[in-house]
Amino acid sequence: MTEQQIIDLINSSLVEEFELDPASMTPDANIYEDLGLDSLDTVDMVIVLEGAFKFKIREEEEIREIRTLGDIYRFVNGKSRQIKRK
Amino acid sequence: MIYDQVVIGSGISGLVAATILAQYGHRVALVEQAPVLAPVLRGFSRQGIYYDTGFHYSGGLGDGEVLDVLFRYLGIAEKLEKYSFAADRFDTFRDVETQEEFHFPIGREALRDRLCTAFPQEREGIDKYLAMVQQACQAIPYLNLDLEFGQVKPMLGVHGPSLGEVLDQLIGNTALKGLLSMHSLLYGVPPDQVPFFLHASVAGLYYESVHGLKGGGLSLVQAFEQRLDELGVDVFLGQAAQKFSFAANGTLAGVTMADGEVVACRNCVATVHPQVVLDLVPSELLRPVYRRRLENLEETVSALMLYAACETPSQLLQGSNLFLGRLGRPLEGLGGGPLEERPINMAGTAPDDKGPGARGFVAICPAEQDCTARWSGSSLGKRPVEYLRFKEETMERMQCHIERSCPELRGTFKVSAGATPLTIRDFAANPAGGLYGVKHRVGQYNPMARTRVPGLFLAGQAVVAPGVLGGALSGFLTCGQMLGQDQLLERVKACS
Repeated sequence: MTEQQIIDLINSSLVEEFELDPASMTPDANIYEDLGLDSLDTVDMVIVLEGAFKFKIREEEEIREIRTLGDIYRFVNGKSRQIKRK
Repeated sequence: MIYDQVVIGSGISGLVAATILAQYGHRVALVEQAPVLAPVLRGFSRQGIYYDTGFHYSGGLGDGEVLDVLFRYLGIAEKLEKYSFAADRFDTFRDVETQEEFHFPIGREALRDRLCTAFPQEREGIDKYLAMVQQACQAIPYLNLDLEFGQVKPMLGVHGPSLGEVLDQLIGNTALKGLLSMHSLLYGVPPDQVPFFLHASVAGLYYESVHGLKGGGLSLVQAFEQRLDELGVDVFLGQAAQKFSFAANGTLAGVTMADGEVVACRNCVATVHPQVVLDLVPSELLRPVYRRRLENLEETVSALMLYAACETPSQLLQGSNLFLGRLGRPLEGLGGGPLEERPINMAGTAPDDKGPGARGFVAICPAEQDCTARWSGSSLGKRPVEYLRFKEETMERMQCHIERSCPELRGTFKVSAGATPLTIRDFAANPAGGLYGVKHRVGQYNPMARTRVPGLFLAGQAVVAPGVLGGALSGFLTCGQMLGQDQLLERVKACS
Protein backbone atom coordinates (compact mmCIF):
# COMPACT_ATOMS: atom_id res chain seq x y z
CA MET A 1 0.00 0.00 0.00
CA THR A 2 1.41 3.42 -0.94
CA GLU A 3 1.31 6.35 1.42
CA GLN A 4 -1.40 7.96 -0.66
CA GLN A 5 -3.50 4.80 -0.56
CA ILE A 6 -3.12 4.74 3.21
CA ILE A 7 -4.22 8.38 3.44
CA ASP A 8 -7.21 7.74 1.17
CA LEU A 9 -8.30 4.72 3.19
CA ILE A 10 -8.00 6.61 6.47
CA ASN A 11 -10.02 9.50 5.08
CA SER A 12 -12.76 7.40 3.54
CA SER A 13 -13.10 5.20 6.66
CA LEU A 14 -13.31 8.13 9.05
CA VAL A 15 -15.74 10.03 6.80
CA GLU A 16 -18.06 7.06 6.69
CA GLU A 17 -17.84 5.83 10.27
CA PHE A 18 -17.89 9.26 11.94
CA GLU A 19 -20.10 11.00 9.37
CA LEU A 20 -17.48 13.68 8.66
CA ASP A 21 -17.36 16.19 5.80
CA PRO A 22 -14.97 14.85 3.12
CA ALA A 23 -13.87 18.42 2.34
CA SER A 24 -12.54 18.85 5.87
CA MET A 25 -10.13 15.92 5.61
CA THR A 26 -6.81 17.75 5.34
CA PRO A 27 -3.53 16.75 7.04
CA ASP A 28 -3.52 19.79 9.30
CA ALA A 29 -7.15 19.36 10.38
CA ASN A 30 -7.30 19.06 14.16
CA ILE A 31 -9.43 16.02 14.86
CA TYR A 32 -10.97 17.60 17.95
CA GLU A 33 -11.36 21.26 16.99
CA ASP A 34 -11.89 20.92 13.23
CA LEU A 35 -13.49 17.49 12.88
CA GLY A 36 -15.47 17.58 16.11
CA LEU A 37 -14.25 14.31 17.59
CA ASP A 38 -13.84 14.08 21.36
CA SER A 39 -12.01 11.84 23.78
CA LEU A 40 -14.99 9.45 23.72
CA ASP A 41 -14.33 8.81 20.04
CA THR A 42 -10.79 7.55 20.63
CA VAL A 43 -11.82 3.95 21.10
CA ASP A 44 -13.94 4.03 17.97
CA MET A 45 -11.11 5.63 16.02
CA VAL A 46 -8.92 2.71 17.06
CA ILE A 47 -11.64 0.28 15.97
CA VAL A 48 -12.01 1.99 12.58
CA LEU A 49 -8.26 1.94 11.94
CA GLU A 50 -7.93 -1.67 13.13
CA GLY A 51 -10.76 -2.67 10.82
CA ALA A 52 -9.43 -0.75 7.80
CA PHE A 53 -5.80 -1.89 8.11
CA LYS A 54 -6.25 -5.31 9.77
CA PHE A 55 -3.77 -4.68 12.55
CA LYS A 56 -4.13 -4.43 16.30
CA ILE A 57 -3.39 -1.10 17.97
CA ARG A 58 -1.89 -1.27 21.41
CA GLU A 59 0.03 2.00 21.45
CA GLU A 60 -2.42 3.77 23.73
CA GLU A 61 0.07 6.52 24.65
CA GLU A 62 0.72 7.36 21.01
CA ILE A 63 -2.98 7.31 20.20
CA ARG A 64 -3.69 9.75 23.00
CA GLU A 65 -1.12 12.18 21.58
CA ILE A 66 -2.75 12.28 18.16
CA ARG A 67 -4.07 15.77 17.39
CA THR A 68 -4.31 16.13 13.61
CA LEU A 69 -5.24 13.92 10.67
CA GLY A 70 -1.58 14.15 9.68
CA ASP A 71 -0.69 12.53 13.03
CA ILE A 72 -3.01 9.64 12.16
CA TYR A 73 -1.40 9.26 8.71
CA ARG A 74 2.06 9.15 10.32
CA PHE A 75 0.93 6.70 12.99
CA VAL A 76 -0.62 4.27 10.48
CA ASN A 77 2.35 4.61 8.13
CA GLY A 78 4.68 3.76 10.98
CA LYS A 79 2.57 0.76 11.95
CA SER A 80 2.48 -0.50 8.36
CA ARG A 81 6.25 -0.21 8.01
CA GLN A 82 6.72 -2.03 11.33
CA ILE A 83 4.49 -4.85 10.17
CA LYS A 84 6.30 -5.11 6.81
CA ARG A 85 9.66 -5.37 8.58
CA LYS A 86 8.34 -8.32 10.59
CA MET B 1 -41.58 17.85 38.06
CA ILE B 2 -38.17 17.70 36.41
CA TYR B 3 -35.90 15.05 37.85
CA ASP B 4 -32.19 15.69 38.06
CA GLN B 5 -31.64 12.05 37.24
CA VAL B 6 -33.65 9.23 35.74
CA VAL B 7 -32.15 5.78 36.23
CA ILE B 8 -33.42 3.19 33.77
CA GLY B 9 -33.37 -0.41 34.96
CA SER B 10 -33.47 -1.52 38.60
CA GLY B 11 -30.90 -4.27 38.56
CA ILE B 12 -28.02 -3.92 40.96
CA SER B 13 -26.31 -1.15 38.92
CA GLY B 14 -29.51 0.88 38.78
CA LEU B 15 -30.20 0.43 42.49
CA VAL B 16 -26.67 1.52 43.38
CA ALA B 17 -26.72 4.49 40.97
CA ALA B 18 -30.13 5.70 42.17
CA THR B 19 -29.01 5.49 45.81
CA ILE B 20 -25.74 7.35 45.26
CA LEU B 21 -27.37 10.11 43.21
CA ALA B 22 -30.11 10.53 45.82
CA GLN B 23 -27.52 10.62 48.61
CA TYR B 24 -25.93 13.54 46.75
CA GLY B 25 -29.24 15.36 47.05
CA HIS B 26 -30.42 14.87 43.48
CA ARG B 27 -34.09 14.34 42.68
CA VAL B 28 -34.07 10.82 41.28
CA ALA B 29 -36.58 8.62 39.46
CA LEU B 30 -35.96 4.92 39.00
CA VAL B 31 -37.74 3.31 36.06
CA GLU B 32 -38.30 -0.46 35.80
CA GLN B 33 -40.30 -2.27 33.14
CA ALA B 34 -41.08 -5.28 35.37
CA PRO B 35 -43.91 -4.94 37.90
CA VAL B 36 -41.39 -5.22 40.76
CA LEU B 37 -37.91 -3.84 41.41
CA ALA B 38 -34.90 -5.95 40.44
CA PRO B 39 -36.67 -9.11 39.22
CA VAL B 40 -33.47 -11.11 38.74
CA LEU B 41 -31.90 -10.21 42.05
CA ARG B 42 -35.28 -10.72 43.77
CA GLY B 43 -35.65 -14.41 42.94
CA PHE B 44 -38.90 -16.28 43.49
CA SER B 45 -40.66 -18.65 45.89
CA ARG B 46 -42.31 -22.02 45.22
CA GLN B 47 -44.05 -24.10 47.84
CA GLY B 48 -42.54 -22.10 50.64
CA ILE B 49 -38.97 -22.30 49.37
CA TYR B 50 -37.16 -19.17 48.28
CA TYR B 51 -34.90 -19.51 45.22
CA ASP B 52 -32.29 -17.01 44.18
CA THR B 53 -32.09 -16.27 40.48
CA GLY B 54 -29.37 -13.64 40.43
CA PHE B 55 -27.36 -13.75 43.60
CA HIS B 56 -25.82 -16.87 45.08
CA TYR B 57 -22.55 -15.81 46.63
CA SER B 58 -20.06 -13.03 46.30
CA GLY B 59 -16.48 -12.04 46.91
CA GLY B 60 -15.64 -8.62 48.30
CA LEU B 61 -18.22 -8.77 51.12
CA GLY B 62 -15.79 -9.45 53.97
CA ASP B 63 -15.49 -6.66 56.58
CA GLY B 64 -13.63 -3.76 54.99
CA GLU B 65 -13.61 -5.32 51.53
CA VAL B 66 -14.81 -3.37 48.52
CA LEU B 67 -18.48 -4.43 48.37
CA ASP B 68 -18.85 -4.26 52.14
CA VAL B 69 -17.52 -0.69 52.14
CA LEU B 70 -19.76 0.29 49.24
CA PHE B 71 -22.83 -1.19 50.99
CA ARG B 72 -21.94 0.79 54.12
CA TYR B 73 -21.73 3.97 52.08
CA LEU B 74 -25.08 3.16 50.47
CA GLY B 75 -26.66 2.82 53.92
CA ILE B 76 -27.78 -0.77 53.40
CA ALA B 77 -25.03 -2.75 55.17
CA GLU B 78 -26.85 -2.70 58.51
CA LYS B 79 -30.00 -4.04 56.85
CA LEU B 80 -28.15 -7.12 55.57
CA GLU B 81 -27.04 -10.24 57.40
CA LYS B 82 -24.12 -11.86 55.67
CA TYR B 83 -22.69 -15.29 56.38
CA SER B 84 -19.43 -16.87 55.34
CA PHE B 85 -19.36 -19.89 53.08
CA ALA B 86 -17.65 -23.04 54.36
CA ALA B 87 -14.01 -22.12 54.98
CA ASP B 88 -12.65 -25.49 53.88
CA ARG B 89 -14.83 -25.81 50.78
CA PHE B 90 -16.73 -22.84 49.46
CA ASP B 91 -16.68 -24.49 46.04
CA THR B 92 -16.24 -28.16 45.26
CA PHE B 93 -15.29 -29.46 41.86
CA ARG B 94 -16.40 -33.03 41.27
CA ASP B 95 -15.30 -35.13 38.34
CA VAL B 96 -18.47 -36.81 37.13
CA GLU B 97 -16.61 -39.88 35.89
CA THR B 98 -14.22 -40.64 38.74
CA GLN B 99 -16.13 -38.86 41.54
CA GLU B 100 -12.78 -37.31 42.44
CA GLU B 101 -13.21 -33.98 44.19
CA PHE B 102 -11.26 -30.83 44.77
CA HIS B 103 -12.37 -28.46 47.52
CA PHE B 104 -11.60 -24.76 47.14
CA PRO B 105 -10.86 -23.36 50.60
CA ILE B 106 -11.28 -19.69 51.47
CA GLY B 107 -7.99 -17.78 51.72
CA ARG B 108 -5.15 -17.54 49.24
CA GLU B 109 -2.65 -19.39 51.44
CA ALA B 110 -5.03 -22.25 52.13
CA LEU B 111 -5.84 -22.50 48.43
CA ARG B 112 -2.16 -22.47 47.54
CA ASP B 113 -1.41 -25.29 49.98
CA ARG B 114 -4.26 -27.41 48.76
CA LEU B 115 -3.43 -26.89 45.09
CA CYS B 116 0.24 -27.70 45.76
CA THR B 117 -0.70 -30.87 47.64
CA ALA B 118 -2.93 -32.01 44.79
CA PHE B 119 -0.47 -30.98 42.05
CA PRO B 120 3.02 -31.06 43.60
CA GLN B 121 4.72 -30.90 40.19
CA GLU B 122 3.02 -27.59 39.45
CA ARG B 123 4.09 -25.71 42.57
CA GLU B 124 5.93 -23.02 40.65
CA GLY B 125 3.08 -22.38 38.22
CA ILE B 126 0.54 -22.29 41.05
CA ASP B 127 2.56 -19.66 42.90
CA LYS B 128 2.96 -17.56 39.79
CA TYR B 129 -0.73 -17.85 38.92
CA LEU B 130 -1.85 -16.80 42.41
CA ALA B 131 0.65 -13.93 42.42
CA MET B 132 -0.66 -12.73 39.06
CA VAL B 133 -4.25 -12.91 40.27
CA GLN B 134 -3.41 -10.87 43.34
CA GLN B 135 -1.43 -8.35 41.32
CA ALA B 136 -4.31 -7.94 38.88
CA CYS B 137 -6.81 -7.34 41.70
CA GLN B 138 -4.57 -4.71 43.24
CA ALA B 139 -4.14 -2.94 39.92
CA ILE B 140 -7.89 -2.67 39.32
CA PRO B 141 -8.83 0.67 40.84
CA TYR B 142 -12.40 -0.27 41.57
CA LEU B 143 -11.29 -3.28 43.57
CA ASN B 144 -8.48 -1.49 45.32
CA LEU B 145 -10.00 1.68 46.73
CA ASP B 146 -6.55 2.97 47.68
CA LEU B 147 -5.66 3.56 44.06
CA GLU B 148 -6.51 6.92 42.58
CA PHE B 149 -9.06 7.06 39.82
CA GLY B 150 -6.61 9.07 37.75
CA GLN B 151 -4.65 5.88 37.37
CA VAL B 152 -7.56 4.10 35.75
CA LYS B 153 -6.64 2.80 32.35
CA PRO B 154 -9.76 2.31 30.29
CA MET B 155 -10.31 -1.01 28.60
CA LEU B 156 -8.21 -3.07 30.99
CA GLY B 157 -7.85 -6.49 29.52
CA VAL B 158 -9.06 -5.81 26.00
CA HIS B 159 -5.59 -6.58 24.64
CA GLY B 160 -5.26 -9.75 26.65
CA PRO B 161 -3.67 -11.97 27.67
CA SER B 162 -6.56 -14.39 28.03
CA LEU B 163 -6.90 -16.71 31.00
CA GLY B 164 -6.15 -19.60 28.65
CA GLU B 165 -2.88 -18.02 27.51
CA VAL B 166 -1.75 -17.38 31.07
CA LEU B 167 -2.58 -20.94 32.17
CA ASP B 168 -0.84 -22.42 29.12
CA GLN B 169 2.25 -20.44 29.99
CA LEU B 170 2.36 -21.36 33.67
CA ILE B 171 0.86 -24.81 33.98
CA GLY B 172 1.31 -28.10 32.17
CA ASN B 173 -1.29 -30.26 33.90
CA THR B 174 -4.63 -30.20 32.07
CA ALA B 175 -6.62 -31.12 35.15
CA LEU B 176 -5.18 -28.18 37.05
CA LYS B 177 -5.88 -25.84 34.16
CA GLY B 178 -9.47 -27.06 34.18
CA LEU B 179 -9.80 -26.46 37.92
CA LEU B 180 -8.40 -22.96 37.73
CA SER B 181 -10.71 -22.06 34.86
CA MET B 182 -13.77 -23.60 36.52
CA HIS B 183 -14.95 -20.18 37.64
CA SER B 184 -15.46 -19.15 34.02
CA LEU B 185 -18.95 -20.55 34.61
CA LEU B 186 -19.46 -17.49 36.81
CA TYR B 187 -18.98 -15.02 33.96
CA GLY B 188 -19.94 -17.13 30.94
CA VAL B 189 -16.86 -16.61 28.77
CA PRO B 190 -14.55 -19.50 27.81
CA PRO B 191 -10.94 -19.40 29.11
CA ASP B 192 -9.40 -18.79 25.68
CA GLN B 193 -11.51 -15.60 25.30
CA VAL B 194 -11.78 -14.07 28.75
CA PRO B 195 -9.20 -11.43 29.67
CA PHE B 196 -7.03 -12.67 32.51
CA PHE B 197 -7.85 -9.37 34.22
CA LEU B 198 -11.56 -10.09 34.30
CA HIS B 199 -11.03 -13.65 35.49
CA ALA B 200 -8.73 -12.40 38.24
CA SER B 201 -11.23 -9.77 39.35
CA VAL B 202 -13.93 -12.42 39.78
CA ALA B 203 -12.03 -15.52 40.94
CA GLY B 204 -9.39 -13.54 42.87
CA LEU B 205 -11.98 -12.06 45.21
CA TYR B 206 -13.41 -15.51 45.95
CA TYR B 207 -9.93 -16.59 46.96
CA GLU B 208 -10.04 -13.94 49.72
CA SER B 209 -13.55 -14.23 51.15
CA VAL B 210 -16.85 -15.80 50.18
CA HIS B 211 -20.19 -14.66 51.56
CA GLY B 212 -23.86 -15.16 51.03
CA LEU B 213 -26.76 -13.17 52.46
CA LYS B 214 -29.40 -14.55 54.80
CA GLY B 215 -32.61 -14.30 52.85
CA GLY B 216 -30.61 -14.25 49.60
CA GLY B 217 -30.86 -11.63 46.86
CA LEU B 218 -34.36 -10.72 48.10
CA SER B 219 -32.88 -9.31 51.30
CA LEU B 220 -30.62 -7.09 49.19
CA VAL B 221 -33.57 -5.87 47.12
CA GLN B 222 -35.59 -5.16 50.27
CA ALA B 223 -32.69 -3.25 51.80
CA PHE B 224 -32.53 -1.08 48.68
CA GLU B 225 -36.31 -0.63 48.61
CA GLN B 226 -36.20 0.73 52.15
CA ARG B 227 -33.22 2.92 51.39
CA LEU B 228 -34.72 4.38 48.20
CA ASP B 229 -37.84 5.15 50.17
CA GLU B 230 -35.84 6.90 52.91
CA LEU B 231 -34.10 8.95 50.23
CA GLY B 232 -37.34 9.92 48.47
CA VAL B 233 -36.52 8.28 45.15
CA ASP B 234 -39.62 7.97 42.95
CA VAL B 235 -39.98 4.47 41.54
CA PHE B 236 -41.90 3.85 38.31
CA LEU B 237 -42.78 0.17 37.92
CA GLY B 238 -44.32 -1.88 35.15
CA GLN B 239 -43.40 0.47 32.35
CA ALA B 240 -40.58 0.32 29.88
CA ALA B 241 -38.69 3.40 28.78
CA GLN B 242 -39.21 3.81 25.03
CA LYS B 243 -37.21 6.78 23.80
CA PHE B 244 -35.21 9.71 25.03
CA SER B 245 -36.60 13.10 24.19
CA PHE B 246 -34.53 16.21 23.66
CA ALA B 247 -35.06 19.93 24.00
CA ALA B 248 -34.73 22.23 20.98
CA ASN B 249 -31.16 23.05 21.99
CA GLY B 250 -30.23 19.36 21.91
CA THR B 251 -30.04 18.74 25.65
CA LEU B 252 -31.70 15.71 27.18
CA ALA B 253 -35.26 16.58 28.21
CA GLY B 254 -36.76 13.33 29.38
CA VAL B 255 -37.60 9.70 28.96
CA THR B 256 -40.75 8.79 27.06
CA MET B 257 -42.46 5.81 28.65
CA ALA B 258 -44.49 3.05 26.98
CA ASP B 259 -47.77 4.85 27.70
CA GLY B 260 -46.49 8.05 26.13
CA GLU B 261 -45.92 9.86 29.40
CA VAL B 262 -42.63 11.76 29.55
CA VAL B 263 -40.55 11.61 32.71
CA ALA B 264 -38.73 14.93 32.46
CA CYS B 265 -35.09 14.93 33.50
CA ARG B 266 -31.70 16.54 33.02
CA ASN B 267 -29.56 13.42 33.12
CA CYS B 268 -30.10 9.75 32.68
CA VAL B 269 -28.24 6.60 33.69
CA ALA B 270 -29.23 3.70 31.43
CA THR B 271 -28.38 0.37 33.03
CA VAL B 272 -30.10 -1.67 30.32
CA HIS B 273 -28.48 -4.02 27.82
CA PRO B 274 -26.45 -2.09 25.18
CA GLN B 275 -28.88 -3.26 22.48
CA VAL B 276 -31.70 -1.56 24.38
CA VAL B 277 -29.64 1.62 24.61
CA LEU B 278 -29.67 1.71 20.81
CA ASP B 279 -33.48 1.53 20.81
CA LEU B 280 -33.69 4.44 23.25
CA VAL B 281 -31.35 6.88 21.54
CA PRO B 282 -32.29 8.49 18.19
CA SER B 283 -29.78 6.97 15.82
CA GLU B 284 -28.51 10.28 14.43
CA LEU B 285 -27.10 11.14 17.85
CA LEU B 286 -24.61 8.29 17.79
CA ARG B 287 -21.71 7.72 15.41
CA PRO B 288 -22.29 4.86 12.96
CA VAL B 289 -19.13 3.18 14.22
CA TYR B 290 -20.35 3.34 17.85
CA ARG B 291 -23.81 2.04 16.95
CA ARG B 292 -22.26 -0.88 15.09
CA ARG B 293 -19.95 -1.54 18.03
CA LEU B 294 -22.88 -1.84 20.42
CA GLU B 295 -24.92 -3.91 17.94
CA ASN B 296 -22.11 -6.40 17.46
CA LEU B 297 -21.04 -6.95 21.06
CA GLU B 298 -20.74 -10.66 21.62
CA GLU B 299 -23.06 -12.12 24.21
CA THR B 300 -22.16 -14.54 27.01
CA VAL B 301 -23.41 -18.10 26.86
CA SER B 302 -26.98 -18.68 27.98
CA ALA B 303 -28.13 -21.45 30.31
CA LEU B 304 -30.64 -24.03 31.40
CA MET B 305 -31.55 -23.83 35.06
CA LEU B 306 -33.24 -26.35 37.26
CA TYR B 307 -34.73 -25.35 40.61
CA ALA B 308 -35.27 -28.21 43.03
CA ALA B 309 -36.81 -28.70 46.45
CA CYS B 310 -34.91 -31.05 48.80
CA GLU B 311 -36.98 -33.55 50.75
CA THR B 312 -34.62 -33.19 53.68
CA PRO B 313 -32.38 -30.13 53.94
CA SER B 314 -29.12 -30.74 52.07
CA GLN B 315 -25.85 -30.52 54.00
CA LEU B 316 -23.91 -30.99 50.77
CA LEU B 317 -25.00 -27.63 49.40
CA GLN B 318 -25.10 -25.56 52.55
CA GLY B 319 -22.59 -22.73 52.26
CA SER B 320 -20.84 -24.68 49.56
CA ASN B 321 -21.37 -24.90 45.82
CA LEU B 322 -20.83 -27.94 43.69
CA PHE B 323 -19.34 -27.81 40.18
CA LEU B 324 -19.78 -30.93 38.10
CA GLY B 325 -17.49 -31.55 35.18
CA ARG B 326 -14.64 -33.63 33.88
CA LEU B 327 -11.16 -33.03 35.17
CA GLY B 328 -8.68 -32.96 32.39
CA ARG B 329 -11.21 -31.85 29.84
CA PRO B 330 -10.86 -28.11 29.46
CA LEU B 331 -13.95 -25.96 29.32
CA GLU B 332 -14.08 -25.12 25.67
CA GLY B 333 -16.81 -23.09 24.09
CA LEU B 334 -19.21 -23.56 27.05
CA GLY B 335 -22.72 -24.60 26.24
CA GLY B 336 -21.99 -26.84 23.26
CA GLY B 337 -22.31 -30.63 22.92
CA PRO B 338 -24.87 -32.91 24.56
CA LEU B 339 -26.30 -31.64 27.82
CA GLU B 340 -25.07 -34.77 29.62
CA GLU B 341 -21.46 -33.82 28.87
CA ARG B 342 -21.67 -30.17 29.87
CA PRO B 343 -20.59 -28.82 33.23
CA ILE B 344 -23.20 -27.91 35.83
CA ASN B 345 -22.85 -25.69 38.83
CA MET B 346 -25.16 -26.10 41.78
CA ALA B 347 -25.89 -23.69 44.62
CA GLY B 348 -28.04 -24.32 47.69
CA THR B 349 -30.81 -21.93 48.67
CA ALA B 350 -29.88 -19.24 51.19
CA PRO B 351 -30.28 -20.16 54.87
CA ASP B 352 -33.43 -19.04 56.64
CA ASP B 353 -34.83 -19.33 60.15
CA LYS B 354 -36.24 -22.82 59.56
CA GLY B 355 -33.09 -24.73 60.53
CA PRO B 356 -29.80 -25.85 59.02
CA GLY B 357 -29.23 -27.26 55.55
CA ALA B 358 -30.27 -25.98 52.14
CA ARG B 359 -33.98 -26.56 51.51
CA GLY B 360 -33.51 -26.43 47.78
CA PHE B 361 -30.96 -25.72 45.11
CA VAL B 362 -30.46 -24.35 41.65
CA ALA B 363 -28.42 -26.19 39.01
CA ILE B 364 -27.09 -24.15 36.10
CA CYS B 365 -25.93 -25.71 32.86
CA PRO B 366 -24.51 -23.54 30.06
CA ALA B 367 -26.57 -23.69 26.84
CA GLU B 368 -26.56 -21.98 23.48
CA GLN B 369 -29.46 -19.69 22.60
CA ASP B 370 -30.20 -21.87 19.58
CA CYS B 371 -31.80 -24.55 21.70
CA THR B 372 -34.92 -22.41 22.17
CA ALA B 373 -34.64 -20.20 19.08
CA ARG B 374 -37.68 -21.88 17.48
CA TRP B 375 -39.94 -20.30 20.09
CA SER B 376 -38.30 -16.89 20.25
CA GLY B 377 -41.54 -15.22 19.12
CA SER B 378 -43.26 -16.20 22.38
CA SER B 379 -43.24 -14.36 25.69
CA LEU B 380 -43.25 -15.20 29.42
CA GLY B 381 -46.36 -17.12 30.41
CA LYS B 382 -47.47 -17.47 26.76
CA ARG B 383 -45.29 -20.26 25.45
CA PRO B 384 -46.46 -22.89 22.94
CA VAL B 385 -47.03 -26.49 24.01
CA GLU B 386 -43.96 -27.78 22.13
CA TYR B 387 -41.76 -25.42 24.07
CA LEU B 388 -43.25 -26.57 27.36
CA ARG B 389 -42.60 -30.17 26.34
CA PHE B 390 -39.01 -29.30 25.41
CA LYS B 391 -38.52 -27.63 28.76
CA GLU B 392 -39.94 -30.58 30.68
CA GLU B 393 -37.73 -33.06 28.81
CA THR B 394 -34.71 -30.85 29.32
CA MET B 395 -35.34 -30.63 33.06
CA GLU B 396 -35.65 -34.42 33.19
CA ARG B 397 -32.32 -34.75 31.42
CA MET B 398 -30.72 -32.32 33.82
CA GLN B 399 -32.20 -34.21 36.75
CA CYS B 400 -30.70 -37.48 35.43
CA HIS B 401 -27.36 -35.73 34.86
CA ILE B 402 -27.38 -34.50 38.47
CA GLU B 403 -28.48 -37.85 39.91
CA ARG B 404 -25.79 -39.71 38.00
CA SER B 405 -23.11 -37.29 39.11
CA CYS B 406 -24.37 -36.94 42.69
CA PRO B 407 -25.52 -40.37 43.86
CA GLU B 408 -26.09 -38.95 47.34
CA LEU B 409 -28.85 -36.73 45.94
CA ARG B 410 -30.69 -39.53 44.13
CA GLY B 411 -34.37 -39.53 45.02
CA THR B 412 -33.96 -36.70 47.54
CA PHE B 413 -35.19 -33.76 45.45
CA LYS B 414 -38.07 -32.73 43.23
CA VAL B 415 -37.89 -30.29 40.33
CA SER B 416 -39.99 -27.27 41.20
CA ALA B 417 -39.16 -24.90 38.33
CA GLY B 418 -36.97 -24.57 35.28
CA ALA B 419 -35.53 -21.86 33.08
CA THR B 420 -34.24 -21.82 29.51
CA PRO B 421 -32.46 -19.18 27.38
CA LEU B 422 -35.91 -17.73 26.58
CA THR B 423 -36.79 -17.43 30.26
CA ILE B 424 -33.52 -15.62 30.83
CA ARG B 425 -34.14 -13.31 27.88
CA ASP B 426 -37.59 -12.28 29.08
CA PHE B 427 -37.09 -12.40 32.84
CA ALA B 428 -33.87 -10.40 32.72
CA ALA B 429 -35.05 -8.04 29.94
CA ASN B 430 -31.99 -8.98 27.96
CA PRO B 431 -32.85 -9.16 24.25
CA ALA B 432 -29.65 -11.06 23.52
CA GLY B 433 -30.40 -13.67 26.21
CA GLY B 434 -26.93 -14.40 27.62
CA LEU B 435 -26.78 -15.49 31.25
CA TYR B 436 -24.29 -12.73 32.04
CA GLY B 437 -25.26 -10.24 29.33
CA VAL B 438 -22.53 -8.93 27.07
CA LYS B 439 -19.18 -10.73 27.07
CA HIS B 440 -15.99 -9.31 28.38
CA ARG B 441 -13.48 -10.77 25.97
CA VAL B 442 -10.06 -10.08 24.57
CA GLY B 443 -10.40 -7.89 21.47
CA GLN B 444 -13.89 -6.60 22.27
CA TYR B 445 -14.34 -2.95 23.21
CA ASN B 446 -17.30 -2.75 25.58
CA PRO B 447 -19.10 0.58 26.07
CA MET B 448 -17.87 3.08 28.64
CA ALA B 449 -19.93 5.08 31.14
CA ARG B 450 -19.88 8.32 29.17
CA THR B 451 -21.64 8.66 25.83
CA ARG B 452 -21.73 11.31 23.13
CA VAL B 453 -25.26 12.21 24.16
CA PRO B 454 -24.96 15.01 26.72
CA GLY B 455 -26.49 13.89 30.00
CA LEU B 456 -26.69 10.21 29.07
CA PHE B 457 -24.50 7.78 30.99
CA LEU B 458 -24.35 4.00 30.87
CA ALA B 459 -23.87 1.50 33.67
CA GLY B 460 -24.34 -2.22 34.07
CA GLN B 461 -22.52 -5.46 33.63
CA ALA B 462 -21.53 -4.67 30.03
CA VAL B 463 -19.58 -1.64 31.18
CA VAL B 464 -17.57 -3.14 34.06
CA ALA B 465 -18.14 -6.79 34.93
CA PRO B 466 -20.99 -9.21 35.63
CA GLY B 467 -22.39 -10.32 38.97
CA VAL B 468 -23.61 -8.36 41.96
CA LEU B 469 -20.08 -7.08 42.50
CA GLY B 470 -19.46 -6.06 38.87
CA GLY B 471 -22.89 -4.46 38.55
CA ALA B 472 -22.67 -2.61 41.86
CA LEU B 473 -19.22 -1.27 41.02
CA SER B 474 -20.45 -0.17 37.62
CA GLY B 475 -23.21 1.89 39.24
CA PHE B 476 -20.62 3.42 41.55
CA LEU B 477 -18.10 4.15 38.78
CA THR B 478 -20.70 5.76 36.52
CA CYS B 479 -21.84 8.00 39.36
CA GLY B 480 -18.17 8.90 39.84
CA GLN B 481 -18.06 10.12 36.26
CA MET B 482 -21.16 12.22 36.83
CA LEU B 483 -20.45 13.62 40.28
CA GLY B 484 -16.66 13.76 40.42
CA GLN B 485 -14.72 10.60 41.01
CA ASP B 486 -12.33 11.78 43.67
CA GLN B 487 -15.00 13.15 45.97
CA LEU B 488 -17.23 10.10 45.63
CA LEU B 489 -14.27 7.82 46.27
CA GLU B 490 -13.37 9.79 49.41
CA ARG B 491 -16.93 9.52 50.69
CA VAL B 492 -17.01 5.77 50.07
CA LYS B 493 -13.61 5.23 51.65
CA ALA B 494 -14.72 7.16 54.72
CA CYS B 495 -17.09 4.23 55.38
CA SER B 496 -14.36 1.62 55.55
